[in-house]
Amino acid sequence: MKDKIFGVLQRVGRSFMLPIAILPVAGLLLGIGGSFTNETMLNTYGLAGVMGSGTILNAVFQVMSRAGDIVFTNLPIIFAMGVAIGMAKKEKDVAALAAAIAFFIMHASIGALIDINGGAENMLSGATASVCGITSLQMGVFGGIIVGLGVAALHNRFYKIELPQVLSFFGGTRFVPIVSALVYTGVGILMYFVWPVIQSGIYAVGNVVLNSGYAGTWVYGLMERLLIPFGLHHVFYLPFWQTAVGGTMEVAGVMVEGAQNIFFAQLADPTVEHFAVSATRFMSGKFPLMIFGLPGAALAMYKTAKPEKKKAVEGLLISAALTSMLTGITEPLEFTFLFVAPLLYGIHCVLAGLAYMLMHVFHVGVGMTFSGGLIDMFLFGILQGNEKTNWIWIVIVGIGYFIVYYFLFSFLIKKLDLKTPGRDDSEEVKLYRRSDVEARKKNGGNGQEQGENPEDELSAAICRGLGGKKNISDVDCCATRLRCTVFKAELVNDGLLKSTGASGVVHKGNGVQIIYGPRVTVIKSNLEDYLETAPDEEVIMDAVPEVKEEKKEEKAAEVVKTVVISSPVTGVAADLGTAPDEAFAGRMMGDGAVVTPENPVVRAPEDGEVCFVFETKHAIGFLTDTGISLLIHMGIDTVQLNGKGFKVFVENGQKVKKGDPLLELDLDYLKQNAPSLVSPVLCTELEDNQKIRLLKEGNIQAGEPLFAVDFCE
Amino acid sequence: MKSFHYVITDEVGIHARPAGMLVKEAKKYESSVMIVKGGKKVDAKKLMMLMGLGVKCQEEVTVEVEGTDEETAAAALETFFKENL
Repeated sequence: MKDKIFGVLQRVGRSFMLPIAILPVAGLLLGIGGSFTNETMLNTYGLAGVMGSGTILNAVFQVMSRAGDIVFTNLPIIFAMGVAIGMAKKEKDVAALAAAIAFFIMHASIGALIDINGGAENMLSGATASVCGITSLQMGVFGGIIVGLGVAALHNRFYKIELPQVLSFFGGTRFVPIVSALVYTGVGILMYFVWPVIQSGIYAVGNVVLNSGYAGTWVYGLMERLLIPFGLHHVFYLPFWQTAVGGTMEVAGVMVEGAQNIFFAQLADPTVEHFAVSATRFMSGKFPLMIFGLPGAALAMYKTAKPEKKKAVEGLLISAALTSMLTGITEPLEFTFLFVAPLLYGIHCVLAGLAYMLMHVFHVGVGMTFSGGLIDMFLFGILQGNEKTNWIWIVIVGIGYFIVYYFLFSFLIKKLDLKTPGRDDSEEVKLYRRSDVEARKKNGGNGQEQGENPEDELSAAICRGLGGKKNISDVDCCATRLRCTVFKAELVNDGLLKSTGASGVVHKGNGVQIIYGPRVTVIKSNLEDYLETAPDEEVIMDAVPEVKEEKKEEKAAEVVKTVVISSPVTGVAADLGTAPDEAFAGRMMGDGAVVTPENPVVRAPEDGEVCFVFETKHAIGFLTDTGISLLIHMGIDTVQLNGKGFKVFVENGQKVKKGDPLLELDLDYLKQNAPSLVSPVLCTELEDNQKIRLLKEGNIQAGEPLFAVDFCE
Repeated sequence: MKSFHYVITDEVGIHARPAGMLVKEAKKYESSVMIVKGGKKVDAKKLMMLMGLGVKCQEEVTVEVEGTDEETAAAALETFFKENL
């Protein structure tokens, strides 16, 4: 169980890597753009002339700032899609679309409830935010992750779903966005009630902080870090920075509210001898943490990565560490270990609180525009002089932090075998080589995979029919056709393809269309799965011509007698090979056809005798007066239902006429409780000289000829 | 003639799928394979008959094998029952 949770967490962590990869770039753009467009800063250093508003430089920085900012603003939906892509097993593109839809729908339903209940004004201030233009609850990245994980789970469960024939257009991957939309309408409603409770808790902590000294500073730092994954840290610290919650002070004769405002007021006031620590205690702690501590953690993660993966994680870690150091944007680095090793993040939070407290204790008075990177430290610490800021303590404490982070992280990662980047067991980072694929294939042969399943058999047959994997250029599908492009059209074997349940094969140059009907999306997914591991070979079948000749011989052999078997039920008829059950599809029990019932009454297909009715009522053995033994098996795996959903009208040994009712099905119950309603009707005792010929495909009435048994000589 | 007893452990008994597999197995041998349950005796090579026997979980059947390859057939079938039924 523990391993399972861990395995999932590991995959979750890995799925974050895609969205995280954009953060360093966005962080640099925002950090540089933001710092050099900050009016206060420009005025303080007299740079307004060079890069103040109206200058070209200013325009460039503004564009940079916005370009970076848009990524952070929309991080939730980026995570929703990124996580869905990472967690989806196949057809990842569909999962991404479904995640975007679900994300919008969840926030729209929250937004609707907010409006119904009196609008955003009735909520706590800061509790709501504009999410992609929707006024919704501020759920931060956490909201995106709820969507990403949930949609991926739905996707993996449903992307191969087969719906009843009439709805089958909506089956397979098309069902995923539909079900996601419905589920997330509900999740949105739920979140409207649950999330504000979490938010209230955060506000309560704010009060505690103000009413206590050094300990309060520690709690502040701890909370601020803890809230980052939830995107609520802004809700938490902004009141301290911008409102009276963070204190009030008279600077140069003006009353100023909020820690950051106090700092910048003092920055502009030449008479200040030392910046007010009562204000900067809500800011300075970020410097040792971001410039020294986190890079130490990054180094530890690099050193502990597996040797063969160091190259792969190097880029990620270096850029993330640089972003943290320069701009004070820490999410890229923090997210690399937050989800795979929550323990490390917990320790990181405690140490963060401590950093704030130490800065408070050592009277460090360095403020910041928005975060604690080198740029801000240089501008508001070093340039101001140690007299006014005590900035030297940032470096002293910082070096300590670097060492502590490095050794603590290294130790814990190794000791607990935490799966930080480059340490997981997967081969994700690595590109597959041919030898890997072959090795995997061999392992598969040793029963590592659960043996050949029916989908694989079908896929293998299609693959062979198309001339082997090497001959297949690409595979796609429309509503009813599998559309493939092959390299050599002459290698395509229509006969083999038709034997896979196709009702027709169309050639257009190198394009091949195989017509299966609406369930083609499922066939396509299975085929793609299969092709991933299939041997890359060209199948030039020597066997094929032989098979064809044999068939001709069969045709040539004179059919001396034909017995027609009619359908026992009204529904949709198809080749037996399409039955979603290996035993039936593989014709282990005999040959015949399948009918998917759409009418509840199962009737005697021909005049004959009911040999036996299974005690579980789901199948009937039937002997026609023409001497054919039939098994009429309603649904797949319906034996498990123990008779529920079936009503029997006949008993063992009873003589019946064609059309007499045998069974009645509770179609709704069966649809919900049986894996499939597809019902094989087959001849169990065929001799070698008896062949089945399917007479009808698609809609069929009870009593209409279903297949013929040809007796050859 | 070789014979052995076996108590079915598969919870659905000798139902369609297991029966199909059993018939396939039985047909590999020349010997006749008969399944006996409660006084009824059926040919294991005839799926319809076998299913008609309606063998359920926890019931005991006797398998009788007779013919030229009865030694190998009986041994193989016994393993087959243990693995699948």
